Amino acid sequence: MSTKHSKAAGEFLKNKDMAAWHDETLWMVRAKRDKMSKEVPEWEQLRDAACALKMYSNSHLDQLLQEFEKNALANGAYVYWAKDAGEYCKIIYNILNGHQVKHFIKSKSMLAEECGLNEYLEEKGIEVVESDLGERILQLMHKKPSHIVMPAIHIKKEEIGELFVREMGTEPGNNDQTYLTHAARKNLRQKFIHAEAAMTGANFAVASTGECVVCTNEGNADMGTSQPKLQITAFGLEKIVPDREALGVFTRLLARSGTGQPITSYTSHYRKPRKGGELHIIIVDNGRSQILADPEHVKTLNCLRCGACMNTCPVYRRSGGYSYTYFIPGPIGINLGMLKAPLHYYDNVSACSLCHSCQNVCPAKVDLADQIYRWRQKLDGLGVASCEKKLMSGGMKFLMEHPELFNLALRKAKWVNAFPRWMVYNGLNDWGKEHEMPTFAKESFNEMWKKGKINE
Amino acid sequence: MKVGLFIPCYINAVYPEVGVASYKLLKSLGVDVDYPLDQTCCGQPMANAGFEGEAKELAKRFDRLFERYDYIVGPSASCVVFVRDHYGNLLAEESHRCASEGKIYDICEFIHDVVKPVSIAASFPHKVSIQNSCHGVRLMHLSSPSELNIPYYNKLRDLLSLVKDIEIVEPERPDECCGFGGMFAVEEHDVSGRMGRDKVQRHIDTGAEYIVGADSSCLMHQTGIIERDRLPIKTIHIVQILAAGL
Amino acid sequence: MSSREDILQNIRRNTRVRYERPDLTELEENALTYPDKVTQFCAIMKQMGGEAVVLTSEDDINEVIKSRYPNAKRVASNMKEVATGEKIQLITCATFHPDDVASPAELDGTDLAVVDGRIGVCENGAVWLQQDVEQRAVYFISEALVILLDRKNLVNNMHEAYKRIDTGEYGYGVFVSGPSKTADIEQALVMGAHGPRSVTVILL
Repeated sequence: MSTKHSKAAGEFLKNKDMAAWHDETLWMVRAKRDKMSKEVPEWEQLRDAACALKMYSNSHLDQLLQEFEKNALANGAYVYWAKDAGEYCKIIYNILNGHQVKHFIKSKSMLAEECGLNEYLEEKGIEVVESDLGERILQLMHKKPSHIVMPAIHIKKEEIGELFVREMGTEPGNNDQTYLTHAARKNLRQKFIHAEAAMTGANFAVASTGECVVCTNEGNADMGTSQPKLQITAFGLEKIVPDREALGVFTRLLARSGTGQPITSYTSHYRKPRKGGELHIIIVDNGRSQILADPEHVKTLNCLRCGACMNTCPVYRRSGGYSYTYFIPGPIGINLGMLKAPLHYYDNVSACSLCHSCQNVCPAKVDLADQIYRWRQKLDGLGVASCEKKLMSGGMKFLMEHPELFNLALRKAKWVNAFPRWMVYNGLNDWGKEHEMPTFAKESFNEMWKKGKINE
Repeated sequence: MKVGLFIPCYINAVYPEVGVASYKLLKSLGVDVDYPLDQTCCGQPMANAGFEGEAKELAKRFDRLFERYDYIVGPSASCVVFVRDHYGNLLAEESHRCASEGKIYDICEFIHDVVKPVSIAASFPHKVSIQNSCHGVRLMHLSSPSELNIPYYNKLRDLLSLVKDIEIVEPERPDECCGFGGMFAVEEHDVSGRMGRDKVQRHIDTGAEYIVGADSSCLMHQTGIIERDRLPIKTIHIVQILAAGL
Repeated sequence: MSSREDILQNIRRNTRVRYERPDLTELEENALTYPDKVTQFCAIMKQMGGEAVVLTSEDDINEVIKSRYPNAKRVASNMKEVATGEKIQLITCATFHPDDVASPAELDGTDLAVVDGRIGVCENGAVWLQQDVEQRAVYFISEALVILLDRKNLVNNMHEAYKRIDTGEYGYGVFVSGPSKTADIEQALVMGAHGPRSVTVILL
């Protein structure tokens, strides 16, 4: 009984030190998040408000997106609508191509990952430079993010040191984090200056003002968009919020939940193109409007992409981002993958012990674990349920529906205790790989009761 | 007030002593308790594995078995909360309902919130570390979840505090999942095993002699690891402590 | 049909229940406040990796800036003067105006920028800068940033801050909370990822 996730997790756990470090480090972020949330007495009301605001905005997307568009156009921006990943990539390419852009710098955008933007542009001969340090490290290593907020959390400084020796000419053997970060600062400074266009995603798009809000700690979104005069900003349509009042709620929650900071270093509000420049805004659907029709999973659209559910998830912390087959890992990734293509991504549904911690940390109260439970119910209908699990469930059902058989089994069960170890602990017994088997009682409770041993 | 004692399948088979302690404890508190015969399983294992449909007949059976009781009380937070949260949905199409989900309690919850004893005869001169199980904490609200900004409370601790000579502690990461999760422990056995080992170690680090919890499933998982790795700690269900000496 | 129409139609077709907008009044009224905003702001700035300095009536603002950044040679500012209590002080420590460059790239190598802060938020150390120069790169490319902020413009929390932000005609605004930072290499916190390595807020 296994899934792609469980097998990859097994591999991940083989490196015990790295796995322990991964767990501890992400737990530390969770602990910082706890501390931050407890410094805000109205924290739980804030989460309620965020959830209610998202339920409002995601059920008024038609109105809010048009209001956003109207205001963005009035601000002097260009506005595009992309139905899917293909349209999104094409729109961006056309803008860049129209301005003869060969060097393009972008800040972190999960939407760009989702749509495969970098690969698309590079194939067309445009140099794409990721400016978030973690993303840049991964780009140079030709690797994918393993966490949506801390993309390079799985890479050790020694590897980064070696990479920077090759890519940035740093001193061999100097793996000090401050030294390496400042080397990247120097290196990327030139990339910012020589870029002909810059791109950002958006954490929020404000309908009432037509502005896009981007949160970073590094200031890379702002370094990029304050150098070249051509700016592109793209967001998934669920990023829309009604107004600045709503921003007051979300900006209080986002960084506290995600990284355990009171706020990110930069919360940037892009409203108009720079003098003599252009601002192009792309509103992207790529399956989101379809999710609206699914009442059991519509709340995934509340997600702020803060990463808190990953940090708290005991399975994510002990299996790493690469063990999931969807590009977003952890509880939210399990659900988003299933919404994207269930037959492709059902392997991740096993990666949950239903502990429900994710639901408690989610700042917008996405019912992540309940949704995973619901996905499990659908696997059989999709024809991808585990045969062994189905067999076990079916067998249990039969046994449990027949108390006389159950009682008989209880009486015979104790014989299992006497089986030789090789019979019990074989390759087929996945429980036995980790645990000793429980010892069956000599007499079950049922039997004891019937014999009057309890209620004498 | 007539109480029907709910004994989940694995307690029936593996931990009947937990059932016995539950019965004796309720009796000692003056509760009119009875055990409807031929109970099997509430259906949670199938449902959590993704086969909710296979729990339907069991839910019907369960409902009938406990029809004549005012309360259903069981020593397993996870099974109890499954009945409470899912039976309404599972049996939505049934015409005749006795609505088990509305009258079922975990035994700690029942004693803490309904019986409200001011004292208990038990003595347990040991140091115990509380296993705050996920479903007990986050679905049944037996204690304040560590994620939420709400005042601390812990019904298990409250009850254990009535026991004489006991020392009560909670591990670091007090309510992190131990990794049981039903078939999760089999399907994701590597991760589950790692989670269980981490959890047991945190209990050991408190210096406790016992891991005490309200869910035999989490305890069974940890016991399996303790025995495999020969670790210096034991597990015990909370009712066995509360009923000590009865 | 255009993609725009397609998307909007899909949204309309798939929207099941329309939820009401929540009333945030109670939340906003009961949100975190601080009895002494100046003390809180100074404490939180430190936590965010920056520093807040309270200007006394005797202090010369240029001297305060110079004493904190004695080695700054290229100092950019578009500020001519600030009101400090009763008196108006001229900003003389700047060596150039950030818009006196042909391109923002020329701002590379700026040691210090002195800029105007509009609102300071006590819960998180964020200061609202509203673009009042052509080259907003100066906020980010400089090695250090000094923000001048009237202490009367300290607010408790983000709800209050957004209420104070002018709904008028700004093209760009940013909340800056401390220096640029990253923890992308093994979660070790490093100041000065891309932007200023140091931020000082001077409370006037």
